[in-house]
Amino acid sequence: MTPLLTVENVSKSFGGLKAVSGVSLNVTQGEVCSVIGPNGAGKTTLFNVISGVLRPTEGRILFNGTDLASVSSSRFAAIGIGRTFQNLALFKHGTAVENILTGRHTHLRSSVIDAVLYFGRTRREEIAARKQVEEIIEFLEIEHIRDAIVGTLSYGQQKRVELARALACEPKLLLLDEMVSGMNQEETEDIARFVLDIRDELGITVLMIEHEMRIVMDISDRVHVLNFGRKIAEGTPAEVRRDPAVAEAYLGGNRSDAGAKVSA
Amino acid sequence: MRSGDFKQSYGELVALTDSRPVWLWSAILVVALIAAPYMLNSYALSFLIIILITGVGALGLNILTGYTGLISLGHVGFLVTGAYAYAVTVSKYGMPPIVGFLAAGIVPALASLVVGAPSLRLKGLYLAITTLAFSFIINTVILEARTLTNGARGISVQRPEIFGVSFDSDTAFTHLCLGFAIVTLFATLNIRRSRVGRAFVAIRDNDIAARVMGINLHAYKLFAFVTSAFITGIAGALYGIYLSFVSVEGFPFLLSIEALAILIVGGLGSALGAVLGTILIVLLPEATRFTFSLFSAQMDALFSTGAQELKSMLYGLVIILFLRFQPRGLVGAWHDIRRTWVNWPLRY
Ligand SMILES: Nc1ncnc2c1ncn2[C@@H]1O[C@H](COP(=O)(O)OP(=O)(O)OP(=O)(O)O)[C@@H](O)[C@H]1O
Ligand SMILES: [Mg+2]
Repeated sequence: MTPLLTVENVSKSFGGLKAVSGVSLNVTQGEVCSVIGPNGAGKTTLFNVISGVLRPTEGRILFNGTDLASVSSSRFAAIGIGRTFQNLALFKHGTAVENILTGRHTHLRSSVIDAVLYFGRTRREEIAARKQVEEIIEFLEIEHIRDAIVGTLSYGQQKRVELARALACEPKLLLLDEMVSGMNQEETEDIARFVLDIRDELGITVLMIEHEMRIVMDISDRVHVLNFGRKIAEGTPAEVRRDPAVAEAYLGGNRSDAGAKVSA
Repeated sequence: MRSGDFKQSYGELVALTDSRPVWLWSAILVVALIAAPYMLNSYALSFLIIILITGVGALGLNILTGYTGLISLGHVGFLVTGAYAYAVTVSKYGMPPIVGFLAAGIVPALASLVVGAPSLRLKGLYLAITTLAFSFIINTVILEARTLTNGARGISVQRPEIFGVSFDSDTAFTHLCLGFAIVTLFATLNIRRSRVGRAFVAIRDNDIAARVMGINLHAYKLFAFVTSAFITGIAGALYGIYLSFVSVEGFPFLLSIEALAILIVGGLGSALGAVLGTILIVLLPEATRFTFSLFSAQMDALFSTGAQELKSMLYGLVIILFLRFQPRGLVGAWHDIRRTWVNWPLRY
């Protein structure tokens, strides 16, 4: 099985700080993969280089066999990489529907002139997009907030709209950066269920950053552990849980509470 | 939000409005505007014409600054370019007015590429200053390109005749401006409800997320510049025709400030806001003059001699007042009122 995503020896430095340092990992089609690690381990930075927000200082990333270095950053969505952000990045003045529609961007064709006329194919295309958005809304059970301005929604609801917007891109690989942080028990369980449905029903491969060990252990096929920018472990949830280096990283790190969660 | 909202089809979901009253009132308003020139005296009519032309220009700026969040202090540059493009093609080279209007859109659109391309990486104040510089450079270019523009002497412009219809009378010219205003409004609203408008707003609200959605930031910022300049250029041509004379002095820097004031007063990022803001800002100096003239004739005289200075003070004042007390502009106020009304008393 060839991997969908191959990260080879990737590093990213900010001035003197090496936020990601020589990380390699594979994500196979159809997997739910997790990236864990203490605060500041470089997880979000790794996502930023995979999603084209930042370019790696060293190393190579292959997606579906394509070297991402040759892909311009606004084309990442088109080739099938979607993501959510750790700190919400919604278009906050718009409604939930408008936000999700924006996710359809690469699947629509209308030019500025088509848009001005809003006629024929353009109108049909918009109607089709609206239909697909409605399906995603139903899938994620957010019918009741579809017309709300997203800035007025609760944190958990906004996270769900962001997930919907990422799904609207129809990605092959979905990167989820701490979806459940700040969510209550019930919302967390909803998200865990959605992630599995996204994989099983939509056939989307998921790579997620999570601090919440329960969800990581419950739903991931593979777990990659980062600490100080380096990958220190990889394996099934059970393997990672037993790995002494992982417990060490969490206990020795600045997030001592997570150590307890790993062994929990 | 009315609880009775129940959409029948997806076609209705993408419609401009699903509300019959809105269509009805809009139709009544259009009929009233068509009839207005027959009822109003020429003094009042001049305000209507100015409102229509300014509205076109404000809608143009709204695409760049309101939707896309790129602040332009140099929009008068596109206005004057459009006016000259019309005057040169029609008055100097005797081409048909239709060609003139096309040129009035296309030439500023091309000019906007010149200012837009280098400012793609600039934001906020830096972009504002770049556009400001552009508008001054344009003035210099116009004054220097004497063979084309007559330099400081300017070009006089006649009211057009299009497909055999003369727009010479004030009534007919009002109708022409009304036509342009309605078309511009629809174009703007259509852009806003399409993929392109959503991309503009996405860039304004969160450019990193916009790029992750696959929006090409450079391309769409240029689209915003070009569309905005095209519309603004048309407004410039109409204004030149209205003045019946196109010169650099006819397009003072104050017009850039006026356009920004309109957007702030109306509510940034809303076509309806641009329209409401235009009405308020165009009438404001006149209303102020009238109020003061009730108290003393000297004030009245002051207003006629220091009109420009007083205007800029007024614009500054309303910008500050609105930013402080009603940052969402007239449109925001309107939404609040409507919500209160719909929910009153305790609709739910
Ligand atoms: N744009 C940036 N410029 C400079 N330093 C950065 C930048 N982004 C991240 N860093 C630094 O890189 C390191 C890794 O940050 P990153 O956000 O990737 O960590 P993380 O694992 O996602 O942490 P958390 O669990 O808190 O989200 C941190 O020390 C951070 O301060
Ligand atoms: Mg992070």
